Amino acid sequence: MTAPTTLTSRVLLLLLKLRAVLMLVILLALFSALSPTFFTANNLSILAKHVSISALLATGMTLVVLTGGIDLSVGSIAGLCGIVAGLLINGLTIGGSTHYIPIPLVILVALLVGALAGACNGLLVARFSVAPFIATLGMLYIARGTALLLSNGHTFPNLAGSPAHHNTGFPALGQSFLLGIPAPVWIALCIAALAALLAARTPFGRHVYAVGGNERAARLAGIRTSRVKLITYILSGLCAALVGLIIAAQLESAHPATGESFELNAIAAVVLGGTSLMGGRGSIGGSLIGALVIGILADGLVMLGVSEFWQIVIKGIVIVLAVAVDQLQSRVQFRFLSNLFRPKQEANQ
Amino acid sequence: MTDDIVLEARGILKRYPGVTALDRIDFRVHRNAINVLIGENGAGKSTLMRILAGAESADTGQILLEGQPITLRSPRDASAQGIAIVHQELSIFPNLDLSENVFAGRELTRHALIDRPSEDERTNSALSRLGKPMPVTPQASTLSLGRRQLVELARTLTHGAKILILDEPTSALSLTEAESLFRVLAELKASGLTIIYISHRLHELLYLGDYFTVLRNGRIVGEAPRADVSRNWIVERMSNRGLNTTPAPTAATTPLLRVRNFTIPTQDDSEVSITGLNFTLNKGEILGIYGLLGSGRTELLEALAGARSSAGTLTLSERKLSLDSTTATVKQGIVLVPEDRQRDGLVPELSIRENIALGSLHGLFVHRAKLIQRTQQLAQDLNIAAPNLDLPITTLSGGNQQKVLLARCLMSNPSVLLLDEPTRGVDAGAKLEIYNILRTLASKGLAILFTSSEIEETQTLATRALVLCQGHIAADLTHPYISDEALFTAASPHISLPHFTSSEVTL
Repeated sequence: MTAPTTLTSRVLLLLLKLRAVLMLVILLALFSALSPTFFTANNLSILAKHVSISALLATGMTLVVLTGGIDLSVGSIAGLCGIVAGLLINGLTIGGSTHYIPIPLVILVALLVGALAGACNGLLVARFSVAPFIATLGMLYIARGTALLLSNGHTFPNLAGSPAHHNTGFPALGQSFLLGIPAPVWIALCIAALAALLAARTPFGRHVYAVGGNERAARLAGIRTSRVKLITYILSGLCAALVGLIIAAQLESAHPATGESFELNAIAAVVLGGTSLMGGRGSIGGSLIGALVIGILADGLVMLGVSEFWQIVIKGIVIVLAVAVDQLQSRVQFRFLSNLFRPKQEANQ
Repeated sequence: MTDDIVLEARGILKRYPGVTALDRIDFRVHRNAINVLIGENGAGKSTLMRILAGAESADTGQILLEGQPITLRSPRDASAQGIAIVHQELSIFPNLDLSENVFAGRELTRHALIDRPSEDERTNSALSRLGKPMPVTPQASTLSLGRRQLVELARTLTHGAKILILDEPTSALSLTEAESLFRVLAELKASGLTIIYISHRLHELLYLGDYFTVLRNGRIVGEAPRADVSRNWIVERMSNRGLNTTPAPTAATTPLLRVRNFTIPTQDDSEVSITGLNFTLNKGEILGIYGLLGSGRTELLEALAGARSSAGTLTLSERKLSLDSTTATVKQGIVLVPEDRQRDGLVPELSIRENIALGSLHGLFVHRAKLIQRTQQLAQDLNIAAPNLDLPITTLSGGNQQKVLLARCLMSNPSVLLLDEPTRGVDAGAKLEIYNILRTLASKGLAILFTSSEIEETQTLATRALVLCQGHIAADLTHPYISDEALFTAASPHISLPHFTSSEVTL
């Protein structure tokens, strides 16, 4: 082991590790330089709102992916939960009389629906050994279909509620500001911080990593692997429900097609953030940066007037490159670490 | 004397479909000692250990800890009772660091959050107790196998294990790693632990063991303290004299397969590298490769079958042989009957006939009538006991499934047949039948190369035996000089053991 090799690989490793951050900085610099309207308070506020949506989904998705699973149903669950909120705010007609439900209860019910859908995913995966891809693909259709059934294919308008029914205030969830920062951004930040704490500092979080790293060993170590997986899918469903509520609040209406292909953005953010789809490696923080990269890329390309079709192609290229670099990192890391620890071991023995 | 028994298994019976793994055995574990359990592959050692560790439950029987009956429903139950197992294949989380590995499933917390400083401290103290202090932050994937094993040991120690089960702990270790493990075990014993130790390697057993128990075919056939145990005592009990063996045919000496300077590179630490191996396989010969787990026997066979990359000069009937792929080797006349029938051999969804025909479906269309006739013929030749070849393969017993695999290999008219553990999971009667089939095939000129970890199988079947030890040929024995002693001595790696006096070995 010679010093230069170590130094080179050390630098290389650091660059690879920080690649998402680097990409973020480069994109910010590039778009700020090329477009005068990019780095303005107005645009950044819009950008932050967009990013908070995919960041929320990516947060739940990260936990699922860390166990070695995947959740394709988050977009549909978001759509379903928005519709549930729209339905309840517009009043439930039971036996001729229409009932209006207070907003906190509406939010609670929508979150419960999201958690329930997540629990179905989790049960299918953990107890009935259905491949995560299939289980959540099924839920993708079921949740979307249910949203269409509940709304009869129509949009629920006017979610502002009315003072007469004591159900105003719902739009605040998506439209209000605190300290000059939009509410959705606060929500996304809080949820991400909680999830990051959960993943990094609690026994549950460590079990998530353990299940993703070696499920058999986790079972032998007495970790309840089924329960760990179930909980990650429930959390992912909850995050999706929050997204559905926020979008409905922003638009003051609930559309059954809301959230279509959101799951792909979330997975892209997770992967860009360095989380391995094989499970066991990655972090919430990484996914946040991934969500930022994707958001900024989309927003910046629009600002530059790049054709919508090219935007899609560019997004695809970025994702594929990110995963290719990811493979490179694990190889370099392995070689580097082996070099670092092997000689020491021999010295000890 | 009874106070000396810390753990006892009474009348343990365990049956798997078609096999009685443990036949009402009584097993006693002595306190604060290294209890050695010996037996050939399939003798039931691992099953017994899994039962004691709560990973499986016995059909009938009782487990007593300190004289009190206990129920072990899961590994968690067992570890709550202070019984821990270090598995043959390590159960390490490659993506977690040392402390995280040690406390996986039993994290230390403060205010609901993980208490990392305490975890690190206790991991450090466990590693020091094992005499191997090392940094706790690297990921387990960067550690050597020996180190990973230490992490597992540290895990069991921090969870207060009083009885430690080690299932073939040295099989994947290098010599230096094994030696340092022995020192660790001696320390652990001195600090009051009880150890159950499973291994094939006589040298280390005689060096380490305080009490010896020999298992054979699911029964206990010997039990004695160290003072009453000698190498012969073990060998006599391990090898089964009950089978009626017909003498092996005498070997012809027309060289068929020549292997020169054969080298198999390793892909990772857990494999054995083979360098510069030379041997010749004659026509009509049944050559046995005997070796312990980790001797390189499986690697050798896989490489010869083209399933693993290798280098060397090989000739088959004077023609140069290339081992690029399994397709290439089959074409040239070499076929392998793999060790793990279920995983690498049979397709459970297909019928007996389809399983036989699997390797020889070439071209666009299947000539059905020809196929039926050929499979029928082979099934008859090999005496496959099935009323109808269109029944599912799963309806057959282990012995008959093995014959189906043999039939498939014969479909391609090979000149060399490779078999990895030819009678694994096959009952005694079918074993003899398979031996006879192989002898008949050899007498027709087929060259057979098989590996076995069973001494007796090697002696019964082989006309010549090569003993592999850590990637080298340690002995080349010809029938009838394939003795227990010769096989054992050549197969066990010689380890320079600390405080080892010659009087202790020979006895």
